[in-house]
Amino acid sequence: MGQIRQIAIYGKGGIGKSTTTQNLTAGLVELGKKVMVVGCDPKADSTRLLLGGLAQKTVLDTLREEGDGVVLSRILKEGYGGTRCVESGGPEPGVGCAGRGIITSIGLLENLGAYTEDLDYVFYDVLGDVVCGGFAMPIREGKAKEIYIVASGEMMALYAANNIAKGIKRYAKTGGVRIGGIICNSRNVDRELDLLRAFSKELGTKLLYFVPRDNIVQHAEINRKTVIEYRPDSNQANEYRSLAQAIIDNQDFTIPTPMEQERLEEILLEFGLMNIKDDYKI
Amino acid sequence: MAKILDKQRYKCAMSAMQTVQAIERAIPVLHSGPGCAQKLSGSTGSSGYFSPNIYPCTSINERDVVFGGVKKLESTIRHSLEVIDADLYVVLTGCIPEIVGDNTEEVVSGFKEEEKPVIYALTAGFKGNNYKGHEQVIDALTEQYLEPSKIRIKGLVNIWADVPYQDEFWHGNYKELERLVKKLGLTPNIIFGYNRGIENIKKIPAAEFNLLISPWVGLTNMKKMEQKLGIPYLHYPTLPIGAFETSKFLREIGTYAGVPEEKVEAVISEEESSYYYYIERYADLFLETRVMSKQFTVVADAQYALGITKFLVNDLGLFPAKQFVVDDTPREYQEKVRSYFKDLNYIIEAEVSFDTDGFNIHNEIKAHDYHGYPLILGGHWEKEVAKQTNAHFLNVSWPVNERLIMNSYYAGYEGGLKLIEDIYSVAKTRFN
Repeated sequence: MGQIRQIAIYGKGGIGKSTTTQNLTAGLVELGKKVMVVGCDPKADSTRLLLGGLAQKTVLDTLREEGDGVVLSRILKEGYGGTRCVESGGPEPGVGCAGRGIITSIGLLENLGAYTEDLDYVFYDVLGDVVCGGFAMPIREGKAKEIYIVASGEMMALYAANNIAKGIKRYAKTGGVRIGGIICNSRNVDRELDLLRAFSKELGTKLLYFVPRDNIVQHAEINRKTVIEYRPDSNQANEYRSLAQAIIDNQDFTIPTPMEQERLEEILLEFGLMNIKDDYKI
Repeated sequence: MAKILDKQRYKCAMSAMQTVQAIERAIPVLHSGPGCAQKLSGSTGSSGYFSPNIYPCTSINERDVVFGGVKKLESTIRHSLEVIDADLYVVLTGCIPEIVGDNTEEVVSGFKEEEKPVIYALTAGFKGNNYKGHEQVIDALTEQYLEPSKIRIKGLVNIWADVPYQDEFWHGNYKELERLVKKLGLTPNIIFGYNRGIENIKKIPAAEFNLLISPWVGLTNMKKMEQKLGIPYLHYPTLPIGAFETSKFLREIGTYAGVPEEKVEAVISEEESSYYYYIERYADLFLETRVMSKQFTVVADAQYALGITKFLVNDLGLFPAKQFVVDDTPREYQEKVRSYFKDLNYIIEAEVSFDTDGFNIHNEIKAHDYHGYPLILGGHWEKEVAKQTNAHFLNVSWPVNERLIMNSYYAGYEGGLKLIEDIYSVAKTRFN
């Protein structure tokens, strides 16, 4: 077997990182790949679709309640198609340090031997932005070497993506981490595809895949399933399969070239995001 | 850019645990990692009813970082109240809970109804050194414990001067300042040291005024007390050492407090007469000790650098080389402090450098021509440069490794004589 490909998924909060990660994981599993998904978000909802609900105790909850004698079977659950699912979890809202929580739980996973040789992929589904050192943990110390940023044509999603790229660039020099591309989770914004292509190019990477918007994703989510499990024959299931294939085939890994604020706004202007006349009628 | 701090002259803000310890029967409750207290507890004179070895500490670990350490803090305070018989419990926070964002205020406010007062001061090391930490503790007292008083006791004066333990002469200095103020007919109130403690803290709000004897440390405390407790303050920036400054000091307090001039002058006359009796008796020694230095350098906090500089120029007739203030004086105070060094007799002005880097300081000392043996008064670190420059060296400021100071002092008239004794005891060891 080859090396485990460890992949971190970043992106603005609410952009669809968890949804995209789980759906593409289902695509990989269909192709016979062994995948582990590590949710790095205190909300602990990164594996809900694979496990059919919030069925899992987080690493940190287990650590808090059981002390240091945590065993792997208590925190690693098997989900759809044999996917291994882990939720890092975090402190209660408003107390403690979630960033340190991520560091602690990834360290614990390593010590407990969660990274077995039969794995093909490990995905880290990381909360929002690279807000502090803790949330950069998956890309430090040679863990995830590939990053994908989930974005859409919305301005704030691109601001966040550019900011995340700055974090990646910082660790690229020492940790060997590279950006593998942008995954567009479409919001049906005007000229979204063109904008995302131009944005990706300027960022020194490529638009890896454009996932169209489809309500079936929401239906699948309500049913606690990935689209591939919920409606295997749907168009959207095929889109996620293609995304999975794009990840498998991807060989373009670069050090991102994040933009200055002015340049980012220029691109947004160029693609009409900022100069569309308000058509606001009551 | 980060720089190396060579030859450190102070500790981090949580070392304010020394300020708490200087208040009898007050105990620090530390919310920090276990190593902090250990590192900060190395001062001499800190054994007794409470010593750093028994300070309660949350000893927080990784789990407390992730989930927050407030539960541990709550139980540590609760148990401290149960098993330690103290008059005042002061929670001091270290860096970790401050970074994590533990809500110490909320936890401490849960103990409002307890019989004994529990207060807190945020003393994370990254907020500054122990001079700032000392101020945080005094502010905590004002903000959380003291209430405005309906009565004002005529002549009651709160005295604030040295930072206990950071200044090893604190015991004696406070005692001598107390004695002098008392001689003016005023009633001094000090919270640090022997036989004072919580009862004296309780007296603070009724004072007629606060007397701050310090170039900058404590100024924020005075402003806070003025604001909350309505106590005005007299700021006397120089620690008075020797007759010239002490007489000036007494006159200024007398004027401020409305003490009759005749009374002030009578006190001064009595004290000076004794002081100059000794100066006269030993004048031959001063004249004939030809190896005695002509120029001097003080390496100390603003309190001592200023106090000693004024004494050596005004009373002893020495000439100042460059003086080094090593307490990391906040920028906003530096110009003011610098101006105090220009206010010397015989139109002499002393040049001052605010530098915390021992390497720079020693290089400057080595480069200067002292026109004879240099006189260096500083921390233990200066012993080395004193040796290299063949100087007379006296260890007066932290770290003090060269001598034991229990209750001796440099403040006041007699303090000046003591400083002369110490300096000449060094000079006399050299063949004259």
